[in-house]
Amino acid sequence: MRREYFRWAQRLFDPAQIHAKPEALNGIRVLDLSVIIFGPATADFLGELGAEVIKVELPGQGDVTRILGGASFFWKNVSLAFFPQNHSKYHVGIDMHKPAGQALIRKLAARSDVVIENFRAGTCEERFGIGYRQLREVNPRLIYVANTGFGQWGPFARGRASYDGLAQAVSGLTAITGTPGEHPTKIGNYIGDWYGASMSAVGALAALRWRDRTGEGQFVEMAQCEGLLRAMDWTWLYAGVTKRDRPRIGNRDPVFSPSGVYPCKDGFVALVAGSDAEFRGLLRMLGKTAWARDRRFRGVESRRKPESADALDGAIRAWCEKRTRRAIDSAARRFGVPVGRVMTGKDHYESQHLRARRSVWEYEDPVYGTMVEYGPAPKLSATPARIKWAGKPVGFHNEFVLKKILGLSDEEIQALAVEGVVGKWADRVGPKPPDGWQGEGSLL
Amino acid sequence: MSGPVPWYDWIRAEEDPARVSEKPEALDDLVVLDVSQGHYGAFLCGTYLAELGAEVIKVEPPGGDPVRRWGPADATVNGTGLAFVAEARNKYCVTLNLGKPSGRRLLKGLAARADVLVEGFRPGYLDGLGLGYRQLARMNPRLVYVACSAYGQFGPDAPRQAAEYDLTDQALSGLMHVTGDPDGPPIRVGSWVSAYAQAAWATLGVLAALHWRESSGRGQMIDVSGVEALLRYMEYTVLLYHATGQVRGRMGLYELAVFPYTFVRVKDGYAFIAGYTDPNFQAICRVMGRPELAKDSRFSTTIQRTHPEHEILLRQEIEKWSITLTADEILEKVMADPGPGIIVFGPMNPPTRVLEEGHWWERGCFKKVRDPLYGELLLQMPAWRMTRTPPRLTWACRPVGFHNAHVYRKYFGFGPERLAELGDQGVL
Repeated sequence: MRREYFRWAQRLFDPAQIHAKPEALNGIRVLDLSVIIFGPATADFLGELGAEVIKVELPGQGDVTRILGGASFFWKNVSLAFFPQNHSKYHVGIDMHKPAGQALIRKLAARSDVVIENFRAGTCEERFGIGYRQLREVNPRLIYVANTGFGQWGPFARGRASYDGLAQAVSGLTAITGTPGEHPTKIGNYIGDWYGASMSAVGALAALRWRDRTGEGQFVEMAQCEGLLRAMDWTWLYAGVTKRDRPRIGNRDPVFSPSGVYPCKDGFVALVAGSDAEFRGLLRMLGKTAWARDRRFRGVESRRKPESADALDGAIRAWCEKRTRRAIDSAARRFGVPVGRVMTGKDHYESQHLRARRSVWEYEDPVYGTMVEYGPAPKLSATPARIKWAGKPVGFHNEFVLKKILGLSDEEIQALAVEGVVGKWADRVGPKPPDGWQGEGSLL
Repeated sequence: MSGPVPWYDWIRAEEDPARVSEKPEALDDLVVLDVSQGHYGAFLCGTYLAELGAEVIKVEPPGGDPVRRWGPADATVNGTGLAFVAEARNKYCVTLNLGKPSGRRLLKGLAARADVLVEGFRPGYLDGLGLGYRQLARMNPRLVYVACSAYGQFGPDAPRQAAEYDLTDQALSGLMHVTGDPDGPPIRVGSWVSAYAQAAWATLGVLAALHWRESSGRGQMIDVSGVEALLRYMEYTVLLYHATGQVRGRMGLYELAVFPYTFVRVKDGYAFIAGYTDPNFQAICRVMGRPELAKDSRFSTTIQRTHPEHEILLRQEIEKWSITLTADEILEKVMADPGPGIIVFGPMNPPTRVLEEGHWWERGCFKKVRDPLYGELLLQMPAWRMTRTPPRLTWACRPVGFHNAHVYRKYFGFGPERLAELGDQGVL
């Protein structure tokens, strides 16, 4: 029965059929005015689900992530930091500092469903004349998504900028992460940007559902610090009940015991045995079945006590130290113990499972050749999310966007280019195409 | 036209937390079944949809969802685990024993009327009970069915019947591999972030599927792995390996692509400081009273500043200055700097200190609720602001089976006698 289920699920989600299936957000146009990660990722996630995303960048340099990183971080004339939040977009270079550029943005917004920006609160309205109140004049159905650190209003909103690391610090997430007594742990990815972006995309689609029902657009905001506050499970309730800070406890799970991260011969594994059944499996795996009758370990509550947890921890550690990740993993599978190898980029690259699910997605891009990136997270059976092409140089699709969407002529585009209102890449690493690029991928 | 009211005042009035209940809810036409048991990600997906206005019916076994027992050992509310109380909001709590044929029939009855079903069982479990997507979709082709698990519903490792835990998700996603010091072990993020990420993806998938249903009339199945929920947040980790053969490792307080972007000691603890583009770095040097640092050849460009040795030196230079001032004193200097350039700065706050910041309270990020059953609760509020259909908290948490009478009357017309009978039979 179960084997039959997995055969059915494999057919239902068959990755080979992804491009043959429709897209959930087909016909939705997203105007992405944002930079770095938080805003661009929000647009990217909607793009994965089928929205047409037009990414507006400053002519010349473009999005700053194009130029970030040490020397070993550049590849084919662009920083690798640029790609993960810029898939399948149309790239247009428009200078929003110029009135004629602002006029182009208003025209694009009139023909869009969603606008995404991540400037400091008020900047788009006060500096560029393309804030929500101005754009809804030209498009009352518009969903305007504004991502910030601290929100559009409130004491911290006035002039205070934010990055992910700041959001980690001021939200309290840093304070509950890591090992007591040691310096703060900076979470290794930009989790406030990424989680914030998924939540922001949720807000955009909730607004889209309301618009599907009523025709009304609205303003949606997501603040990165507030996203992380929201994602700290019982931290606040605990502070309310006990008047204390939830402690930093390193790598043990706060609820499930035994649990931890253990060094092994070739790396680390995380292991949890939270239920009685998993614990029995663990004891068999460790060869400690006698402990099943030990008082200290009877029931979930006893195993949570620090002395019991420490004893179990020591036994697991000693067992893992002598083995490889692969050996631990296959034993864990046999005994029904939840184990996760601490995986690296290389492990992901080589994972048959992740590739079979297109969570590691290999594709051919006309400009960058073979790309291997993380694919869309949610797998939709009827309208699968997908990657179509990689991020492109600044202004790569200028003619296409300006002609197809705005109906401009070659002469008009040329005149705008002369004034510097629209433009393409500067001849420098970051914004420009790879060496040897011969026009592949151009649409017009 | 922007009109006479400044943006700040206008948007503040539009988003006024005190007036949220006057406005409609984005998803108030939806019925959602949260049938998750012992699965925080699926549970949270139901919570997000409930905050956005859906009628979410939480279907629990007669003994209650195991999540009701999850939380720290040293504090509970009314005997219920804090992890449950913190996130059970706005849901209708009913019991239903899926182990009994009549329980399964009732679930089908609910699913026939539902728009969305969320579950977090091991892949194939509900299918084995005749309650999987393929069985329910035959009855209700418009159903959007979300299944949350660690390894997903397909792919070589999908049949692996392991329970999903945040700790193993953090490990498999690689998040743990890049968090911590280079010479220390991998470090887990302190909250159950994989569950929050999984819930965000599940909710995004649901809303996209509902939009598509408007035009197609068809539902679908959505498969969300908690590992992959975080994997999609791992940036260039796999591309770096593909493009250059480098394996991204732990950087501790340092960075691969941007610097300064780090924690430094201040007189009263630790703080975060960043300014990695040239104008922003020049602003930091100006505020420190060290304008010459911006011209130092080791620090003058983004590429120079991200040289591993230069990052260490630069952090030392900043800390020499920051240690002499409190976080508040530095923030004052940062805010007073006229530019050009933007400095990003803030203290590392423990939760009780976060709760002293007026900003979050003014914006309604937290709320103290006096619940008739659970007493005084301090809860985090929905993260989104929406001018037309703001999300909200309507009630905090309800006991097992609290809404049985209401829900079974509403959907099946059952009265007290029928409910008692079902109770006696162990169905509810």
